[in-house]
Amino acid sequence: MITLIKISWRNIWRNRSRTLVIVTALILGIMGGIFSAALRLAAEEQQFEDTIENMISHIQIHHTEFIANPEAHYRIPQGAKVAAEISHKPGIKVVSPRTVFDGMAASANKSTGVRIKGVDAETEARTTRLKELIQEGNYFAEERRLPPAIVGQALAAELMSDVGSRIVLTFQDIHGNMVSASFRIEGLYSVTSRRFEETTVYVQAGDLNELIGDPEAVHEIAILLDDADRYRQAAEELRQAYPDLEVRHWADMDPTLHYSLEVLDQLLIWLVGIIILGVSFGLLNTILMSILERVRELGVLLAIGMKRFKVFSMVLMETTLISVIGGIIGLGLSYIMIRILNVRGVTIPGGEGLEDFGFASVLYPRVDLGFYFEIGMLVVAFAIIASIYPAWKAIRIAPAEAVRQE
Amino acid sequence: MKTVIKTSELSKVYTNTAVPVHALKNVNLEFKEGEFTAIVGPSGSGKTTFLNVIGGLDKPTEGHVVIDDVDIATMKESQLFDFRLRHIGFVFQAYNLIPVLTAMENVSFIMLLQKKEKKEMQRRAKEMLEQVGLSDKLDVRPSQLSGGQQQRVAVARALASKPDFVLADEPTANLDTESAFNLLDIMLRLNREENITLIFSTHDQRVIEKARRVITLVDGAVDKDEYFERN
Repeated sequence: MITLIKISWRNIWRNRSRTLVIVTALILGIMGGIFSAALRLAAEEQQFEDTIENMISHIQIHHTEFIANPEAHYRIPQGAKVAAEISHKPGIKVVSPRTVFDGMAASANKSTGVRIKGVDAETEARTTRLKELIQEGNYFAEERRLPPAIVGQALAAELMSDVGSRIVLTFQDIHGNMVSASFRIEGLYSVTSRRFEETTVYVQAGDLNELIGDPEAVHEIAILLDDADRYRQAAEELRQAYPDLEVRHWADMDPTLHYSLEVLDQLLIWLVGIIILGVSFGLLNTILMSILERVRELGVLLAIGMKRFKVFSMVLMETTLISVIGGIIGLGLSYIMIRILNVRGVTIPGGEGLEDFGFASVLYPRVDLGFYFEIGMLVVAFAIIASIYPAWKAIRIAPAEAVRQE
Repeated sequence: MKTVIKTSELSKVYTNTAVPVHALKNVNLEFKEGEFTAIVGPSGSGKTTFLNVIGGLDKPTEGHVVIDDVDIATMKESQLFDFRLRHIGFVFQAYNLIPVLTAMENVSFIMLLQKKEKKEMQRRAKEMLEQVGLSDKLDVRPSQLSGGQQQRVAVARALASKPDFVLADEPTANLDTESAFNLLDIMLRLNREENITLIFSTHDQRVIEKARRVITLVDGAVDKDEYFERN
């Protein structure tokens, strides 16, 4: 075995430049594959953080009519009680009951359509990352004459307002009457989605419910799960528990986001597949060429009594050695590359426009250590598969003819 | 003397050509232990085919090749691999050493395949390279050796595992006169000292003149089988 490895090792360096070319192709292939995977993971994490954890949460519950017709009187019956019940279920991290109204926000200069969310400051801070997203001002911390509102930076810009400015929110109460109230901008938040930032205003549920005349009103229950991957199962369980309510998970709420993640997944599979296939064919070509150049030599090995299985193993060993060299260097360089990019970030060309759709323009790639191992195994496995044909060619050599070749 | 190889009614017909080629026709020969035989004849007379068939590299169309009481013509391919490894030594016209191995490793290689003990293997390889006058080239790769030296390594390789007989297909064809004589002297000496049966195919008059037995093939059949007294 050791001699077989020794011969294989020396064989691969007989044509140094050819081996270096294929090793380089392997390295670049691995780096390309890992970079794509790391970028995809970064995009997913960014979207989960920005869109799901920062804004919509994993699951939301509404009155069945509310989604199609978001009117104030479509409240969740006994909403506070339902929210409390859900918060005690296993696998639920935190539950935030909210009051939701569509209305207008007006400053002294301008007015615009907004969605007003009445939240419990403390619960909301645990459900979404709203508190951490505050860029200027505070998060429901000050006691002033006017009730506080947290608005997106984009909305503040639209209204030509700032922290401390007064805005008037106008909406219909549960009886269909128009209600207007003044709020003071206490904080400005920022999220990746510009659209969300332009249209969502957070106020305290207590302040809002007082205005609509129902202190217990709940229009929306936002739920964050312990395990984000369980969203479908958890939503189904809640649907069964509350058949009269509309239970939607994030993929239902934001199908574009879900679709884009799926597309990204497919793209990644195809991309990695094409890279591996391309490199495998390169490897196959290299090994096949080296076999065809060594017909006589392999014929001699067979003639003097080396079994076909050993010749087959020798060719497989040559490919394995090439793939292991390329694999180790490729994985090492990929690790360094990802570590650097994870700190510096990758700017997506033209990414500014993507922010309107909830995609960040700068991604911070990262991959788990296990993924390096998986890619390494995959490369060696494909290399071995790619070498089966040349190895088979090698053992089909007729020794009597081969030894007489000039 | 013990019979090492016996062929009876040995025929080989190549049918993968436009017209079937009768490369060997009813060849009946016996080779005794320690013989030094040259197989001669014009090109296409069947010399190489004969060596391939008795060496188990090719199967006869008809007839038998009995070596050590075993008819190798009836053996399966996998058995032939093992048989060649344990009973036959080969020397080829183009030396055919393994280029990535040193002279020492090349000579050890067959013993390695035979799973001989490492120390014994190294001792024997060294001894053989000394016998062929290459004790100073143990760690040299074939590309750094002359043609004559490479062929001497090939002879050492063929003989190191102490095969029942050695088949050499035109071993001096690529060598200059001096190297050819040098090689022949070595082979004759080893034939005498180790009592190894040597069978050559050759055109080379220098080899023919040293052989104690000369078999002439013409059109695949034995034309002459002559014995000579040599010093």
